[in-house]
Amino acid sequence: MIKGLRKSPVDLLFGTLTAMASFVVVVLIAGIFIALLKESLPAIHRFGILRFITTSEWDPVAEVFGALSTLTGTLVTTFLSLLFAIPIAIGIAIFITEIAPDFLKGPIGTAIELLAAIPSIIYGMWGLFTLAPIMEQYIEPFLQETVGRLPLVGALFQGTPMGIDLFTASLILSIMIIPFTASVARDSFRLTPEIVKESAYGVGATKWEVVKDIVLPYSKLGVFGGVVLSLGRAIGETMAVAFVLGNNHELPHSLFDAAATITVSLANEFTEADTDIYLSSLYYLALVLFVLSFITLAAAKFFLLRAERRQSR
Amino acid sequence: MEVQDKELEVRGLNFYYGSVHALKNINLPVYRHSVTALIGPSGCGKTTLLRCFNRMHDLYPGNRYEGEIIFEGKNILSPDIDLIDLRSRIGMVFQKPTPFPMSIFDNIAYGLKLRGIKRRTELSERVERALRHAALWDEVKDKLNEPAYSLSGGQQQRLVIARALAVEPEVLLFDEPTSALDPISTAKIEELAVELKREVTIIIVTHNMQQAARISDWTGFLMLGELIEFDRTDKIFTSPSQKLTEDYITGRFG
Amino acid sequence: MTVESRRRLMNNIALALSSLAALTGLFWLVFILLDVLINGIRGINLSLFLEDPAPPGIQGGGLRNAFVGQLMITLFATLIGVPLGVLGGTFLAEYARGRRISRVISIVSDIMVSVPSIVVGTFVYALMVKPLGHFNGWAGAVALAIIMIPVVLRTTEDMLGMVPWTLREAAFALGAPYYKVILQVVYRGASTGILTGVLLSIARVAGETAPLLFTSFNNSFFTWNMNEPVSSLTVTIFQYAMGPYEDWHTQAWAASLIITLFVLFITILGRLILKWRFGGSAR
Repeated sequence: MIKGLRKSPVDLLFGTLTAMASFVVVVLIAGIFIALLKESLPAIHRFGILRFITTSEWDPVAEVFGALSTLTGTLVTTFLSLLFAIPIAIGIAIFITEIAPDFLKGPIGTAIELLAAIPSIIYGMWGLFTLAPIMEQYIEPFLQETVGRLPLVGALFQGTPMGIDLFTASLILSIMIIPFTASVARDSFRLTPEIVKESAYGVGATKWEVVKDIVLPYSKLGVFGGVVLSLGRAIGETMAVAFVLGNNHELPHSLFDAAATITVSLANEFTEADTDIYLSSLYYLALVLFVLSFITLAAAKFFLLRAERRQSR
Repeated sequence: MEVQDKELEVRGLNFYYGSVHALKNINLPVYRHSVTALIGPSGCGKTTLLRCFNRMHDLYPGNRYEGEIIFEGKNILSPDIDLIDLRSRIGMVFQKPTPFPMSIFDNIAYGLKLRGIKRRTELSERVERALRHAALWDEVKDKLNEPAYSLSGGQQQRLVIARALAVEPEVLLFDEPTSALDPISTAKIEELAVELKREVTIIIVTHNMQQAARISDWTGFLMLGELIEFDRTDKIFTSPSQKLTEDYITGRFG
Repeated sequence: MTVESRRRLMNNIALALSSLAALTGLFWLVFILLDVLINGIRGINLSLFLEDPAPPGIQGGGLRNAFVGQLMITLFATLIGVPLGVLGGTFLAEYARGRRISRVISIVSDIMVSVPSIVVGTFVYALMVKPLGHFNGWAGAVALAIIMIPVVLRTTEDMLGMVPWTLREAAFALGAPYYKVILQVVYRGASTGILTGVLLSIARVAGETAPLLFTSFNNSFFTWNMNEPVSSLTVTIFQYAMGPYEDWHTQAWAASLIITLFVLFITILGRLILKWRFGGSAR
């Protein structure tokens, strides 16, 4: 950018210093990958790749480790939490951008962002001591009585409701990612040119029709990117679910089963791993998690960049 | 001067953006099947006035109307007017082309579908008619399913006009429709406007006085929120009765 | 039903549903905050701040060790993370402005921001705990710093990008070398923005638990020594909440309240600064 500018030695020094600082990020992300790979090599040798992710057994005593049950837990909680969160988050974004009177826009926007700022461990505490008992006594029995009676889906709601299970964990996770998804969706909605919305009103569209036919198609890439970004968040979240999942390594059959996610296993077992292969297997889990979330986040970034580029066109 | 029907009549209109008094006691007839141009220096309120006719100001908080705009014997500024119905009968074309994020066909059909027209044959027929009216049919008939973005700027603007025409409005509002277009596209739009007045009443806001002189039958000159003069276009441009109008027309300010 | 009235009905239903969604969001916020407030306030007393933990199962004691530990870890994380982040952001927005490398690092940082924090914990364990053979406070500070760097870096980049280019040109015209222009003109112009970024990144790491579990770990005793395991509020909350004693739960709630208040205070402060600096349009 600054071509032809004579550089003083100090300038060269300062420039190099800033360059090195910025490369720290690249070094870190590469370093994380290499370190996780190195630490999990013994487990990779012992259990292979395909066998590791398709084995549900997790037995520190017999030293047999497979990722299937934790991977299932991670995927189920992530999927369910997105299922709960997406409609509400998009509703919130619509409310803030299109419906709320001006004097409400600011306060509600701020409130949603405060929800995002609450540390995840607080969600965990609240989940364990407040939400889980409510789930156990009221919500889950109610669901068993209603949805549980249905064919097919009903099977997902069997078992004794304990409140410490996949369902509660997913609910907490969804509350955690709602504000995040909502604010990305809101930012994407705002990119819709006002004049195009006006011309839809100009042909007699209602507010909902403008949202559905103009705003959503306009911002779908951005919203999708935001959803994928939230997916990345949900996959990697630890403390919000660690309290209410029970760290149970059996493959879950129902949403009311205690289970484990990759993050929860790591949080509970990492410091207790007493054999090398146990620790290495935990690193292997961390590696799987890192790769999963890296791919997700890179995909999200790709969509968000495309959305941005399309707007600036 | 022959007697003409009034399509719209503005009576004692005042408009406020919050505490800003943007339009002051406007009185103005709009004659059926004619082109009425609104001119004046920027910030004079011509676009504000135009956006009163389809109540576009209602989309934003803090705006307030006083007075009346009579359309088919009713005051369209009254609070109980159905805005959705009003806006489908008084269409609008904006400064920049505003294609919707859908195909060419769906852009035109959008307003029709909203009105509950679902039969494919009727839709195709009316889309074709609207595109022909907007002199765009020959250019797009082979690519109706392509996204509207693929058209050139001038074509997009005619697409938007066709979209407005498809729902068969009585009035079309043009808000500086050629300000983002090249001279050739501009000429086409101007031609189209003159052509269209056989079927609809047109009100056009323009900063280009030649454009007003070329295509309009009536011209209103606004300044600082007031309607200084309203008359036949040839009268305004040859012998205006107000000194201010003359100064503006002859380029002494603005 | 006519087309018109069906459309109107659909419109009303959709708008009501999205208003309901907003209410749901508010409901959770109020529910969680009130719950933390009500449960937390019961555990707040002087000994919480002034005493170290009593032996497990014994009544009383406090979390002085965790408060001090949390402050030390956060402070050192800030001292490591902020300079690196600010300098790195400077490279992207100044020396490498408009270059491909700037874009690439920017994207990598965005990805880095969302890397699961527990993974960072396992990384630092391999780097700083395993070789030393014991948990230590430095490892915790480094883990939090790693989380801070990309956040500060991206904010700095954005904030420097908002300083008008003409301002730099004016300084160049006076014959100033680039580093002086950056240090004396550009940083000054972007200072509030960067400060906000730093505040928000502190808020972000102050509530982090997962990266501390395997790095600074926990310590029931008071220590200033960062070479030893160091207690933190968040890890203590985790341990106490999962523990069997009523007294622990009360203290965990109290610690939760304090962490929450701290984080929300910093977040609101950051937003207020932004608003004050850039007017209502700042998000």
